Formats: sequence, C-alpha cells, structure tokens
Amino acid sequence: MGSPRIKRFHQHHPQAVTRCLAAVCAAALLAGCNGGTVDQHALKQDAGTIASLATEGELLANDVSKGASTTYFARVQSDNLRKQAANLADALGSRQTSAGIEPKVRKAGKLAGQVAGQLARLHHHPVNRTVAKSVQHRLSDLSDEADKLAK
Amino acid sequence: MNKIFGVALGILAAIGGFVDIGDLVFNVAAGATFGYQLLWVVVIGVVGIITYSEMCGRVSAVSQKAVFDAVRERVGFKAGLITLIAAEIVNAMTLTAEIGGVAICLQLLSGLPYRLLIVLAAIVLAIVVWIVNFDWIERIFGYGGLCLLVFAVAAVKLHPDWGAVGHGFVPHVDTGNKLLYGYFAIGLLGAAMTPYEVYFYSSGAVEEGWTVKDLGLNRLNAIVGYGLGGFLSFALMIVGGALFLGKGIDPATLGSIAMGAEVPLGQIGLLLALIGILFAVAGASIDTLFSGAYDLAQFCGFEWGRHKSPAGAPRFTLTWIVLLILAMLAVMTGVDAVKLTEFAVIFSVVALPLTYLPILLVANDKAYMGNYANGRLANVLGILYLVIIMIVALTAIPLMLLTNLGQG
Repeated sequence: MGSPRIKRFHQHHPQAVTRCLAAVCAAALLAGCNGGTVDQHALKQDAGTIASLATEGELLANDVSKGASTTYFARVQSDNLRKQAANLADALGSRQTSAGIEPKVRKAGKLAGQVAGQLARLHHHPVNRTVAKSVQHRLSDLSDEADKLAK
Repeated sequence: MNKIFGVALGILAAIGGFVDIGDLVFNVAAGATFGYQLLWVVVIGVVGIITYSEMCGRVSAVSQKAVFDAVRERVGFKAGLITLIAAEIVNAMTLTAEIGGVAICLQLLSGLPYRLLIVLAAIVLAIVVWIVNFDWIERIFGYGGLCLLVFAVAAVKLHPDWGAVGHGFVPHVDTGNKLLYGYFAIGLLGAAMTPYEVYFYSSGAVEEGWTVKDLGLNRLNAIVGYGLGGFLSFALMIVGGALFLGKGIDPATLGSIAMGAEVPLGQIGLLLALIGILFAVAGASIDTLFSGAYDLAQFCGFEWGRHKSPAGAPRFTLTWIVLLILAMLAVMTGVDAVKLTEFAVIFSVVALPLTYLPILLVANDKAYMGNYANGRLANVLGILYLVIIMIVALTAIPLMLLTNLGQG
C-alpha cells in the first residue's frame, strides 16, 4: 500500500503542521491584540497605514464629489475605512511607547482620529458633493502629514 | 457545431469562474506592494494549475476515480486521513472567507447590515445548490463572474507603464524587502493553484462520465479555461500597481479592490466590479462547498454527486449543509474575510503536496494509466511543479510569520 517515500512523508508531516499551526496561532493572537510597545518601526508602519487610509478615503471622496460612486458603496466603504482608522487611533492612544518617540506616537494617534472623523462625515453624507469635496481636501492634508510621520 | 458552442460557453464560464477571493486579494495586494514585478509568478501559477488539473482530469477519465479516491488508494487510510483533514481545514477556511466576501459585496451593493447579509448569503447559496441544476449554477456564476473583465478595461484606462508591465513577466527581484516579495510570490502561487478547484474539477469529470474519449476536452478545458482565467489575474495586479502603488494605498478590503474599477470608470465600473466579485466569490463558495463534501464522500465511500437528488446522496448532502452552517457561524464571529483569505491561501499551499504527490504518482503509473500515463512533457512539468510546490509549502509559514502576514 503506497511507496515508502509517501509513507515517510506522511509520518513526518503531521508534527510539522502542528508546530506551524501553534506558531501561527500565537502570531495571530499577538497581531490580533495589537499589543506590544510602539517603537520606531511600528510607528512608521502605523503612520503608513494612516496615510493609506486617508488616501483611500480621499479617492472615495473625490469619486463621491464627481457623482462617480453609489450611495451605498460610499456609505459602507467610508465606514469600513473609518473603523480601521478609529481602531488605530485607540491602539496608538493606549499602547506603551518607546522612549523619545512619545510625541510622534500621540500625533499619529491624533491623525488617525482625525482621519476617522473625516470618514465619518463621508459616511453620514454619502451623496453630498460639497461635503465630499471638503472631506477630500482634508484627507489629502492628513495623508501628507501621516506620510511625513512615516518617513 | 453545437459541441463547439458548448465548449465555448464552458470556457467562458471557466474564465468567469477562475477568479476567487484568494486571487482578488493577493493579485491586487501584490500589485499595490510591488507593482508589476510579480506578474511572472501568476504565469507560473497558471501553468501549475493547468498541469495539476489536466493530470487530475486524465486520471478521472481513465480510472473513473476522483482525487480523494486516488489519494486513499495510493497512500492508504492513515496518510489519506491526514490529507483529508488538511484539505477539509483549508476548505472550511476558504469557504468561510468566501461567505464573508459574498456578504461584504452584498453590503457594498445594498447598504444592509453585514450580519443579516451573512445569513441571507448562506440561505440563498443553500437554496441555489438545492434546487438549481448544476449546469445552470456553473453558467450563472461563471457568466456573472465575467463582469470582472471590467478590471481589464480599468487596467488599460489607468495607463500603466506597459514597458514595466512587460518587464514584470521576466522573473526578477527589484526590492529591498525580499522576504515580503517571497511571501507575495507564495501567496500568488497558492491563489492560482487552489486545491479545491482541482478536487471539484476531477469530481466533475467522474460525474460527467468522462472516458478516454474526453481527454482532448480535458486538455482544452484546462489550458484554455485556466489560461484565459489567468488573464483576469494579470488585470487585477496591473490595477493594483497602476492605482494603489503610486498612492501608497494598501487595499485591505474588498471595497478597496472594487475602487480599482470605480476610480478609472466611475459608477458603471464600480457596479460591474461589485457584481463580478459577487458572482465570482459566490460561485467559488459553491465549488468549495461541493469540494468539501466530495472529499469526505470519496474518502469514506459515501454516495456522492452534485447531479444526484439530496435523497440519492444523503450523507453528501448533509456534509455540504453542515459545512455551510459552520462557515456561516464562523463569519458571524466577525472574522475579517480578507485576512482569513490570506491564511486560507497560505495553508492551502502548505497542504498542496499532500494531494499533488499522489496524483502525480498515479498519473505517472503505467500499470494504472496504461497508454494514458504522463508523457514526457507532463512528466517534466509534473516533477518541476512538485519541486516548486515542496519549496513553497516548506517556506510558506515561516515567510508568513517573518513578514507579519505580509505587513512587512
């Protein structure tokens, strides 16, 4: 029944899979908790994420201002982005910080909160082109600020 | 003439049905992270799935046995059981991500509450699977998935640097972050070579009663269907590179992917993208659902078949119903469908050799396959891909950990 090569393969594989699963679960738990101290590297990453969320929101707001999106899409997608920004703001506000970068981390947290605020405006006014234009400009500025922080 | 028309329709449905949530997530994210640099990996992945599915289809046509019949027969009960468990875990993860994806798409189209849509999606899928003839399921979701061609139009409208796109088909590493590059390369391979597609394909071949007379059709289906389907993957990556990379956007939601069509094409592009994603992901969830039921039924020797009435194959029917309910409950916990997709793709890569190797051995066994055993080309490709799959399976989890799930 089957070649020895296959038997060997299946004898060894389950243990490897178990170990890998355990490692992945541990990593996923850590990532899911959004825990740990914010160091320079984490700050750069988080600032990059804020810039990404702001820019994506800016694109969406631009489409809304041109009538190029749909009401439901604008409402739902802006809320999805808002939740991510708000979660990031909460995490940056509560996590421990490496010495010397605390002001930058607090600024990043504030930026994330402001991005969430702008996205909430878009969520509540998904067909209002004037609001969308204003949100677009504000998110563009916030994205630039986050980009500077990420450098 | 009718046969040619039938084949053409089948190929169209296959193109529309090629892309699933893994392809959507990894191709756009790879484009957004590395531009067009990883297009060559899609080519390798598409040739890989052609090689794998052609072998499976051939084994099914010659022996009337689907993948898990062959696996159990070739490697025995214990090793076969491990393979089955691995396949079912990956199937369940994929199905969960897909049900979540369907609900997200419905929410982006309707604005209704997400949890309500999860339940609605599961109920509608169950009803469709229960009452609609499978040929029609294939057509409806395959043709609906063709709306994803809007991403090809979007890719052109975004005016990518075509020289760079062409350069992307030549393997090269032009980044300081080689680990992340490796992670995405593995993800793209995994997304293209999704095992459930092959289980589904080979089971279909058995159900359709393929014989050696259908080997030409098998080859044509595999090469043209998957080959042209790969074209959609290129388009998705180009959109990711042309739109998101320059702006520094990490497209972390299905809505972000749909924006890839909205920005260059406006409302109509957005709607086509959402409808295309909805049909492609819903179609894939039906394939995954059946795939999970096929695997268990073939391994345990239950009656199985998508053309059979529920009473004709009760345990098969019960299996897919249970899988659907479990997936629905898992999505209801609030798990992120996109993140889960990444896990599912990476784990599918890890589990891939478990079914690929037995199929390669069977397809290569002259005593079993007679004149239809692997020829020289199939053998060279089969062994080459075995090496690739083994390397990828061994490095997938370490790379996932080292890159923090591709976050860098």
